[in-house]
Amino acid sequence: MRHKKKKNRMHSPKTMAQEADRHELYQRAVQSPEADVEFFTERFEQLRNRPALRLREDFCGTALLATTWVRSDPERTAVGVDLDGATLGWGRERNVEPFQEVIGERLELIEGDVREAETALADITCAMNFSYCVFTSRDALRSYFEAARRGLKDDGIFIAELYGGTEAIDILEEERELDGFTYVWDQERYNPLDNSTTCHIHFDFDDGSRIEKAFTYEWRLWTIAELRELLQEAGFADVRVFWEEVEADEDDEDAMMSGTGEYVEVTELDENQESWLVYLVALA
Amino acid sequence: MASQADRHALYEQAVQDPERDVRFFSRVYRRLRGRDALRLREDFCGTAALCHAWVQSMPERTAVGVDLCQETMDWGTRRWIEPAGEEVASRIALVHGDVREPRGPKADLACGLNFSYNCFKTRAELREYFEAARAGLDKDGLFFIDLLGGMESMLEGVTDNDQGDFVYRWEQARFNARTHELLCYIHFVFPDGSEMRRAYTYDWRLWTAPELQELLVEAGFSKVHFYWEKTDREGDGTGVFYEPSFVENQEIWWTYMAAEA
Repeated sequence: MRHKKKKNRMHSPKTMAQEADRHELYQRAVQSPEADVEFFTERFEQLRNRPALRLREDFCGTALLATTWVRSDPERTAVGVDLDGATLGWGRERNVEPFQEVIGERLELIEGDVREAETALADITCAMNFSYCVFTSRDALRSYFEAARRGLKDDGIFIAELYGGTEAIDILEEERELDGFTYVWDQERYNPLDNSTTCHIHFDFDDGSRIEKAFTYEWRLWTIAELRELLQEAGFADVRVFWEEVEADEDDEDAMMSGTGEYVEVTELDENQESWLVYLVALA
Repeated sequence: MASQADRHALYEQAVQDPERDVRFFSRVYRRLRGRDALRLREDFCGTAALCHAWVQSMPERTAVGVDLCQETMDWGTRRWIEPAGEEVASRIALVHGDVREPRGPKADLACGLNFSYNCFKTRAELREYFEAARAGLDKDGLFFIDLLGGMESMLEGVTDNDQGDFVYRWEQARFNARTHELLCYIHFVFPDGSEMRRAYTYDWRLWTAPELQELLVEAGFSKVHFYWEKTDREGDGTGVFYEPSFVENQEIWWTYMAAEA
């Protein structure tokens, strides 16, 4: 069997797209778990005057962030919740098992609905990569936020990521070249009558092959104001907004602004940008 | 020229088209209710140009206009209502007051136009206004609002519109992405270089379409319709509206919603 497989491969070599693993590409293109852990750690210290130890990662996918969290400090524990068992399995194999010795029993992965999963109360619960935008009605999103709050300790915080700006409500395709592949963000559809949007991630390779629609999202693009209202309705005491500071390339005025990795609290920031990314931090 | 000009007259010329609104509202009401709407309530009526066009469109029609600004309503009385004669004037009542306090006989049709309801910045306030609008309607009444959207509606910038004898200048001075607050001005600019700065100031929360729909339903309206104007090959409006479930976003758009009591 082994021999035959090899032979076949020689006759019809696989494309780069066929060889690639969409979860691995996603992690490399989209996620920056170390930066998230740093941001979470600093925010929690600043707001609560104690170190955060337990993280709950909702919509965790491959649980890369939860894994990074527990690896960052031997006292830290984490739980990841996701509906997709296959993606959790990938994460267990690729993100958890290689570090099993360090991680030990400190990480739990739950296959289930983020509105129903019950686990030990967390210091920080996070919903990254806009996943909560799958909830398209106020009732559904509020019930998720209520569940998030129930899952927090008394002084816990909930962190949700949101994107926006004038380009977020348009049709566009954006490419970013990475080592060995190109990440394509495709906003295929946006409906201003209900703020619903359909987005895809494609991956392009140097041999011309492509993973078309590696990931597809059907979202309602909520505004910061709407999320603040719903978080408050769900019982959170206060909602703070942070966004990443950007800097322009001094040599090229037309170049895109790039993120600095520094987050500042948005209070009276009276401008919209073509494209922005914020963290909403809700205090239980 | 700026010192000679009358800001309400300039506003009406640049912004309003009350006959068009009357035609559109009448058509929609007839289609949904199978009869003519007779009684109109115009919230945030300003100069009550719409009330005037409404009663002029049919001898059985009556209108009530509500606004917080007595001076603007007085201007409208002198400009529209008194010159139209006693019979027309007898069919229009202008009320100085808050649109959230329902009053008078129930209307077939109510409207809050020129995005004025955006002055209510919290859900509770806007819902309260929508509840009042519904309470003031007959049981098969219709409530119309217009709304503003598109990519450019959330940006700072200035748009000039040449009206021939003056330029209407719309300035979006400040948009706050955190609160969705939008601060706008209308300026009028004249051929002699003079300018009427900040003739009108609007301190709004720019509500999005689904938020308005949700609040209308929370306020008790049974059904909400979105209308969208059909455009011709050049992209110009045709005056014909349809009810889409999906539209492509544009740089800037404004359209109507109708809510059934």
